Amino acid sequence: MPDVVLQARGLAKAFAAPSGLLAVLTDVSLEVFSGESVSIRGSSGSGKTTLLQLLGGLDEPDVGEVRVLAPGLGLVRPRTSLGRGVGFVFQNYQLMPELTALENVSLAARIAGVDAGPAESAARELLAQVGLIDRLDHLPSRLSGGECQRVAIARALVNKPSVILADEPTGNLDERTGVEIMNLLLGVVAERGAALVLVTHHREFAERVGRRFVLSGGVLSPA
Amino acid sequence: MPWFLHLALRQLFPPGKRFPAFATVSILGVGLGVASLLVVQTVMNGFGEEHRLRIRESFGDCVIVGAAPIANPDELVAKLRLDKEVDGATAYAEGPGLLRRGDFSGVAGVRGIDPADKRQPARQYVTAGKFDDLDDGRVILGYGLARNLRAQVGDRIELWSPAMAERAEKGKAPLPAELEVCAIVRTGFTEVDDRAALIPLRRFREIWSLGPRAHGVILRLKNPAQAAATAGRLGVGHPDLRFVPWQDIKKNFLEAIRFEKTMLFFLMFIITLVASFSIGSTLFSAVIRRSREIGVLVSLGSGRWQLVGLFGVQGLLIGALGTALGFVLTWVMLFFRENILGSINAVFGDGEMVANVYQFSKVPLHYDVSDFVIAAAFTLLTTTIAGLVPALWAAGRKPSEAMRDA
Ligand SMILES: Nc1ncnc2c1ncn2[C@@H]1O[C@H](COP(=O)(O)OP(=O)(O)OP(=O)(O)O)[C@@H](O)[C@H]1O
Ligand SMILES: [Mg+2]
Repeated sequence: MPDVVLQARGLAKAFAAPSGLLAVLTDVSLEVFSGESVSIRGSSGSGKTTLLQLLGGLDEPDVGEVRVLAPGLGLVRPRTSLGRGVGFVFQNYQLMPELTALENVSLAARIAGVDAGPAESAARELLAQVGLIDRLDHLPSRLSGGECQRVAIARALVNKPSVILADEPTGNLDERTGVEIMNLLLGVVAERGAALVLVTHHREFAERVGRRFVLSGGVLSPA
Repeated sequence: MPWFLHLALRQLFPPGKRFPAFATVSILGVGLGVASLLVVQTVMNGFGEEHRLRIRESFGDCVIVGAAPIANPDELVAKLRLDKEVDGATAYAEGPGLLRRGDFSGVAGVRGIDPADKRQPARQYVTAGKFDDLDDGRVILGYGLARNLRAQVGDRIELWSPAMAERAEKGKAPLPAELEVCAIVRTGFTEVDDRAALIPLRRFREIWSLGPRAHGVILRLKNPAQAAATAGRLGVGHPDLRFVPWQDIKKNFLEAIRFEKTMLFFLMFIITLVASFSIGSTLFSAVIRRSREIGVLVSLGSGRWQLVGLFGVQGLLIGALGTALGFVLTWVMLFFRENILGSINAVFGDGEMVANVYQFSKVPLHYDVSDFVIAAAFTLLTTTIAGLVPALWAAGRKPSEAMRDA
């Protein structure tokens, strides 16, 4: 039985809306095991981004709890292990516009407390792995969308998180680049031994992972 | 270097841009604020210093006067000269006199002085003639007085004292003393220049029937800043005499100057405050513009205080560079002050103002380190706060919401 790296129990989340409370998630539970990939699909507005934010500790659930395996810390609340327990990949890359590809990746390591030297070599190694070794000094504005997402994937992995949360990572890319990025993401994540929670609209991509879920009506159910 | 410092530098000075708009405009704003504050303060200090110097030079560092004339001034002067703080002591007498030259006449404050005294302040204000020509048959006139009498160097004038009327035979008009103008002085104090007439003390005693007495003693001190303390110390044992330090001679005038400086500081302070507020709002919008980046930094594990540092440092840097620029601008503006003033006068048409009103050949300056320290400290404080407030606000936001911002 492999280790649990991410554990969510009975999550509920509601937002204040003009017409009263908007219950986005009502009862979501999920367990992700070391090295496995799961996908979550759902219509727009079903709460996929909200769920990933709860899983990653960017927001707190109203009810329920989340635990994530952080290297050296064990199973902890994601809030206390931001940047180490999970790595995020966003639809619109979210790179720092003033930093080069190399600096964007090493910044994540620096924030996690790694010294400048080791952070840079780890970043260099990951950028090589995602095929950007000759783009190290490029600013995001000088990179294509696909290249930006490669940088973002490298950044998400640089602190050796136990799980990657990817929110429609191919949403801004054309079909061919999307396939490329998805291949890269699945490959690199597997190579690094991290688990993956993939939110995508794309049926084909969703089907390439081990376990598939659908988020609908505030509950997560196997597809 | 901590990561947030590195990022702060990058955000303030993005690579590839020689003059990043945000940083340039902010730093320029701070620099101009600091420079206007310091230029005004330095010039005000200059005027103040110049006035203080002139007061000391015209009236002495300390004046000794009494309710009655000093009976034995030579003895007192000799004794005072022995004091280690005293650099020079000289007796004087003064009184009103009537001057006439042909059809023009005027009232003068006549002063009897020691013509041999090398440190007579009047020496430096001679604009015509020679101070050293002063003898018992000659007089030195203030600039305004000479003008009123239409007198020039070499002209002869007549002088009457109240004592002459006493001495004159009953029913006969007293005969005036005839004096030749040997020099004209211009101190810049109109009240002095319009009234002063200087003659040797010995001659004054004759004309005013003063005998060996004098009206007062003027002291030069080694340390004029300590005049009040020295005056107090020297005055011990002379209950009949008042030892007046120069600071008290024209107290109201000096206080007016100081008050002016304070008021201007206050005004300039408000200007810098306004500049800080605009920097605050620029920083605030910069922080809001970076909402999503802040959310990303949080998702990468950045702590609240590191975010505060990230933007606080940017405020501090803008403040520091702006202050440095302000120092440079201050120096440049003051270096070219005559040219700047010249252009202003050319535009507004009231040239020669400084020369006529203040009698200063140049706009006087006095750099006061404390002004610079205060300006720098104040600027750094306000710009840092201007950066910290939005930073605290940003760091307190929920990352999930920050990241949803456009
Ligand atoms: N902070 C918030 N305040 C109020 N409502 C919110 C907030 N965040 C999300 N919502 C609402 O919650 C619902 C779920 O949003 P979420 O972004 O999770 O959807 P999603 O499934 O990711 O959609 P998409 O596929 O379009 O990205 C939406 O209706 C949204 O308007
Ligand atoms: Mg979404």
